[in-house]
Amino acid sequence: MIELKGITKKYTKNGSPEVSVLQGVDLEIRKGEFVAIMAPSGMGKSTLMNIIGCLDRPSAGQYFLDGTEVVSMDDDQLSRTRNKKIGFVFQSFNLLSKTTALENVELPLIYSTEDVDLKAKARAALEAVGLGDRLDHVPSELSGGQQQRVAIARALVNDPALILADEPTGNLDTASSHEVMNIFRKLHQDGRTIVLVTHEPDVAGEAQRIIKMKDGKILSDERRAE
Amino acid sequence: MLISRVAGISLRGLSKHKMRAFLMMLGIIIGIATLTVIVSAGKGMQKKITKSIQSFGPNAVMVSAGGGKMFGPPDDKVTTLTLDDATAIKESIKGIRAFSPFTITLEQSIIYGNRNSTAPVVGATPEFADAWQWYAEKGDFISDEDNASMSKNCMLGRTVVRELFGDQDPVGETIRVNNTNFKVIGVLTGRGTSPMGMDMDRRVMVPLTTAMKRLFNVTYIGMIRMYIDDASRLDEVSKTVTSILKERHHITPPQEDDFRVTNTMSMANMAKGVSRTLGTFLALLSLISLGVGGIVIANIMFISVNERKKEIGIRRAFGATAGDIKKQFLGEALFVTIGGGIAGAVMGLIISEGLAVIKRMPVVLSWEPFALAIMFSTIVGLIAGLQPARRAAAMDPVDAIKG
Ligand SMILES: Nc1ncnc2c1ncn2[C@@H]1O[C@H](COP(=O)(O)OP(=O)(O)OP(=O)(O)O)[C@@H](O)[C@H]1O
Ligand SMILES: [Mg+2]
Repeated sequence: MIELKGITKKYTKNGSPEVSVLQGVDLEIRKGEFVAIMAPSGMGKSTLMNIIGCLDRPSAGQYFLDGTEVVSMDDDQLSRTRNKKIGFVFQSFNLLSKTTALENVELPLIYSTEDVDLKAKARAALEAVGLGDRLDHVPSELSGGQQQRVAIARALVNDPALILADEPTGNLDTASSHEVMNIFRKLHQDGRTIVLVTHEPDVAGEAQRIIKMKDGKILSDERRAE
Repeated sequence: MLISRVAGISLRGLSKHKMRAFLMMLGIIIGIATLTVIVSAGKGMQKKITKSIQSFGPNAVMVSAGGGKMFGPPDDKVTTLTLDDATAIKESIKGIRAFSPFTITLEQSIIYGNRNSTAPVVGATPEFADAWQWYAEKGDFISDEDNASMSKNCMLGRTVVRELFGDQDPVGETIRVNNTNFKVIGVLTGRGTSPMGMDMDRRVMVPLTTAMKRLFNVTYIGMIRMYIDDASRLDEVSKTVTSILKERHHITPPQEDDFRVTNTMSMANMAKGVSRTLGTFLALLSLISLGVGGIVIANIMFISVNERKKEIGIRRAFGATAGDIKKQFLGEALFVTIGGGIAGAVMGLIISEGLAVIKRMPVVLSWEPFALAIMFSTIVGLIAGLQPARRAAAMDPVDAIKG
């Protein structure tokens, strides 16, 4: 499903010395896996997620997603790939403000090339995360946990092959975290591929496989027996 | 992406910033409203010019006593134009088809039975009819005999007939003009309103000699009307008339003329000149408003794009291409300008109608302002929106989503 070979990412700010965030990441993730990535802050987790999510390009290396080479894609192809194959969930929810839950969830469908019934699909996705009664609420009228569930519905609505969650519980209290993690667990049981970044061992414990990073490299990669 | 979806996104984007959208529209509304007034007033002016040429009459040259006044009958006290002047002019100009010296007074009281009315009294000769192309529609015109005998016969314009006689036939009846009895011998054809808004049918016409000697006891005339054979000679004839009168009246440069010569062309040109000056001024105003409006829109769009960086990043993360983002912001600019344009056209039509009612300006309302509004707004929207939209589209998704 995902195959990363020798991925590096360097930032050059004019004047200041080059920063190497990723220094040769090799990683393979199979369909249906639930993977947690753990690393101290600033170690390049988000950078790696953005590369996997086709939002950012590596400085060097190869990336195959579903067997397709990603690095050589142009901007429009990357956009289309994100639309079809990737569902992002962010730490800070990243919902559109002043926009209803329903409209937020419609977002990926709007940019889809397929002509689908936006409202029906968005409503179904919100119902799936238990927010069928909050369709017309704007983010400011929802709790953090509810907002994150809207964000998960949005990530799911286009039926992507891969769900990328960057610290999805980072801004949530324990109860909300549990709700959100329950959803991820269910998604995993439904056979979705999930990559999740977290600092919290509890959260990482939900995953089948835990990858630890340090200094831009993979430090350890453990599979848990089910 | 479907165009209807782009439109939906753009509209929703605007609806979240209504005040801002309104501010963006303001310049366009003003610009297009002004443009609409120009079009309405321009068309009105065109109509008025056509009408004024019609009512002034073709191939006509008019001499009025008194210099300062542009239009209308001279003041009663101007005593400088004489029948001798008229004769001198008539003898030195060729190609005159009809030549009519006449007098015209301010409004006088006219009485028939127990009804009364007021009207300027014209003293005329039979040639008045051809000079003005203005004839008797009923009864007879003032004749040479009337003038020779200083008869107390008169003709009435339609308005006077309506006010004094209603549906009754006035021919043969006797009316009182300034306490003198006159017999009505005919009714003048309708001529409507003059270019200056005067009712040309509010007229009593008596023989020129009767007016000068019997009614008002004067030796001067008020005006001369000429009907010449060739429109291309209007200016030449006017110049000749002017130089003849200057000489006869001993007028030398710093002195102002004590008469005024107008002709069909100069009437039309004057109307055109007024409308052109006004039109140019308004067109400039409109252009400035549209330009300033465009600059305001571009600036607010730039601010908006920066403020909505995160939104752009989010949209990009879920599959919006750079093109989709560009279309969204360009769409917002176009909705603002076209919306403002249509609102401006509606407002311009309302203002035009207001000018027509309150200021009695000639205006013609038409659909054309809407076509112009859409055209100009689209152009302004595209120009003002393109750079901000490009900037939005060029944002790096990873960078943008951080806000
Ligand atoms: N646009 C950029 N320019 C320069 N350096 C950057 C840029 N983006 C990220 N970095 C650097 O890359 C490093 C990794 O950032 P990243 O966001 O991937 O870390 P992270 O592991 O997700 O941290 P956190 O747990 O705090 O989210 C950081 O040191 C950061 O300063
Ligand atoms: Mg991070």
